[in-house]
Amino acid sequence: MDKFLKNTGLFIAVTASLLFLIVFVPNYIVDKKSRFSIQHNNKIVLFGHSHPECAFNDSLIPNFKNLSHSAEPYFYTYQKVKKIISQNPQIETVLIEFSNNQINEKMNDWTWGYKYMSSMFPQYSSFMDKSDIDLLIKNNPKDFMNCMSISTRKNLVRLLTWNYNFSDAIGGYLRVESHQSNAGSGVLTNETAVNNANLSTVNIDYLEKIIAYCHACHKKVYLVRSPQHKNYEYLKNEKDFMRIKKERFADIDFLDFNNFPLNDDDFLDYGHLNYKGAAKFSKWFNKMLNSGLLVNKNKQALIDHNISRAASM
Amino acid sequence: MLFNSISFAIFLPVVFILYWFVANKSLKQQNFLLLCASYYFYACWDWRFLFLLIFSTLLDYFTGLKMSETENQNKRRFWFWLSVLVNVGFLGVFKYYNFFAASFADAASNFGVHVNPWTLKVILPVGISFYTFHGLSYVIDIYKRKISAEKNFIDYSFFVSFFPLLVAGPIERATHLLPQIKKERKFDYLNAVNGLRQILWGFFKKAVIADQCSEYANMIFANSSTYPGSTLIFGAIFFAFQIYCDFSGYSDMAIGIARLFGIELLRNFAFPYFSRDIAEFWRRWHISLSSWFRDYLYIPLGGSKGGTWVKVRNTIIIFLVSGFWHGANWTFIIWGLLNALFIMPSIIFNTNRNNLEIVAKGRNLPTIKEFLQMLLTFSLVVFAWIFFRAADLNHALSYIGGIFSMSTFSVPRFDASGFDILNTIILIIIFLVIEWNGRENQYAIATLGSLKRRSFRLAFYFTLILTIYLFMGREQQFIYFQF
Repeated sequence: MDKFLKNTGLFIAVTASLLFLIVFVPNYIVDKKSRFSIQHNNKIVLFGHSHPECAFNDSLIPNFKNLSHSAEPYFYTYQKVKKIISQNPQIETVLIEFSNNQINEKMNDWTWGYKYMSSMFPQYSSFMDKSDIDLLIKNNPKDFMNCMSISTRKNLVRLLTWNYNFSDAIGGYLRVESHQSNAGSGVLTNETAVNNANLSTVNIDYLEKIIAYCHACHKKVYLVRSPQHKNYEYLKNEKDFMRIKKERFADIDFLDFNNFPLNDDDFLDYGHLNYKGAAKFSKWFNKMLNSGLLVNKNKQALIDHNISRAASM
Repeated sequence: MLFNSISFAIFLPVVFILYWFVANKSLKQQNFLLLCASYYFYACWDWRFLFLLIFSTLLDYFTGLKMSETENQNKRRFWFWLSVLVNVGFLGVFKYYNFFAASFADAASNFGVHVNPWTLKVILPVGISFYTFHGLSYVIDIYKRKISAEKNFIDYSFFVSFFPLLVAGPIERATHLLPQIKKERKFDYLNAVNGLRQILWGFFKKAVIADQCSEYANMIFANSSTYPGSTLIFGAIFFAFQIYCDFSGYSDMAIGIARLFGIELLRNFAFPYFSRDIAEFWRRWHISLSSWFRDYLYIPLGGSKGGTWVKVRNTIIIFLVSGFWHGANWTFIIWGLLNALFIMPSIIFNTNRNNLEIVAKGRNLPTIKEFLQMLLTFSLVVFAWIFFRAADLNHALSYIGGIFSMSTFSVPRFDASGFDILNTIILIIIFLVIEWNGRENQYAIATLGSLKRRSFRLAFYFTLILTIYLFMGREQQFIYFQF
């Protein structure tokens, strides 16, 4: 029995050390060698989920880089922000999408639901700290191990191929050609129905963390709301949305483009612009930047004034 | 509590230490400890069903004693049927009532009568099919005077509830397990190491092959109407490996865990996908259930004595019951019937015992004939699995319709990364090579312990563990827990 316990204990210890090495060494190397460089003229960057991803065509806006990514909650944006800000000192201004569905409980599923965690976690696991990991383990322990395994596999592939470049997979403008009325339904639809009014406090907390990090790096931070259709389902939580903005982000300028005038055929669905809508909006947004939007004292008044002008044209 | 969960990784060492270091003074203490551990293990699923398990145990224990106490055949018969009817009654209520009620309503609606049957809204108690069969084998053996009743209630309860086999078998026999429970157990180093090795191999099968295959099988079966026939063939093959590695992996872990406590469980799988005909497949697949049906149903029905017609009838009955045992769904019944159909030629022409030994025994490779036989048998088995996996008969038929269409000749399409699919296929091939290499053993890597170079052994174990970590699929419930 003593021999069994001794040998089993030794075997478990060696196995644990081996697993530790295989997990943490590649993780460490990827963290140190990862490259998140963007072009040197990109002085303004935008982070967010699929709404800004489809709305801001950065090829029409000089010195601007859209780094939004579909179904990206603030938890993963935070990991990305840390790397991009630290590796791209030319960045002066950070825009962060803050729109109605980002306070909804649905964001929790985007953070630790298996479908999303299994694709996002392996991408950013190397840059997470203990509290981030603890959050995922606490909320989805069952699937976490599998995501860790995928993450280690990806890191090992990066090591073997000497590929530490993350720049191609961190998001960007997504061009969507069609709109839903072309697809046969004849009417625009919503992403998913809002089942409840519960809030994702985790997502809101991580938005605060992103802002705090940007401030610590002396970057100017603005919250942005991309254009949404007036029938957008999540607009039902507008009251809560405004309350949270006031309570948690009162000191951050909020650039609200929600009411930017667009036709139905400028939308992919109620939440997303198609290529045509994105072109209209991005050109207009570029004009706004050139007219000094970010240095104006009363930014929202300027936006609203220009939106009314655009609507009347 | 799953064998592949963190909670079980804590539970097992604690029970092991208590068993060999605290309760090692007497056999009674050891048995009592394992019984308590088993009840705790079962209560972790749903403590309410623990009462059902204890009731079933009490029933079989007392009816067994009553049968042993009397020589009066009428009384013996009474106690025997009481136990059988109550046991089967529980199984019927929990597992089959809703099926019969719905089937009756369907049949009535065909005659224009609208029936709205009362259905039970209860979950199936985990392992009920397994522990009911444990109990039934015990009372049948006593009734047939093969064994005498067990007087010690703790020992009998331990036989029914021993945690490694409680929820998904192997289905044990009193003649095999009770004598081991009564016998003093001493720690055997080689046996314990062998147990750990089998647990590791079972874990690899479950976590890597079964869980990876399940992702693709689930994806393809759930959206079968959108895939070409070529993808559907892959879906059926993925499911074939999923169910084999899931169930045989569980059995390997159960057998290995029991070995840690000095107990040998019945073998449940013997490389069934290397079978050369369906009869051989059924001698190698879920052996403890097949042999249960053989001993307690097929032979009492007359077995193979009494001519071809009796054999054919009995075979059909066995496979129908076997299908129905798996679940209250027509898909399982058709699956059973299909297997009966596949085995029928060998029953009629008396060739069902042609292949008793493992294929290519003593050789490295099979002959071309053996290879083609294995391929044909595997194809038939995979075809039958489609019914087993499908949600209902319409789903199964449309799935098969998709396979027998022109789209089968197109390039398979998957809504998943091609690299990941290729990974899984390579892992299945590596797994098959290891299984082939170890097919003459109890389990594929059983003889690894006899390798003289310790470094080779350790290298293999560490590679296996790293493979498990790196290629584990998303954790899935064991398929046979639902039965």
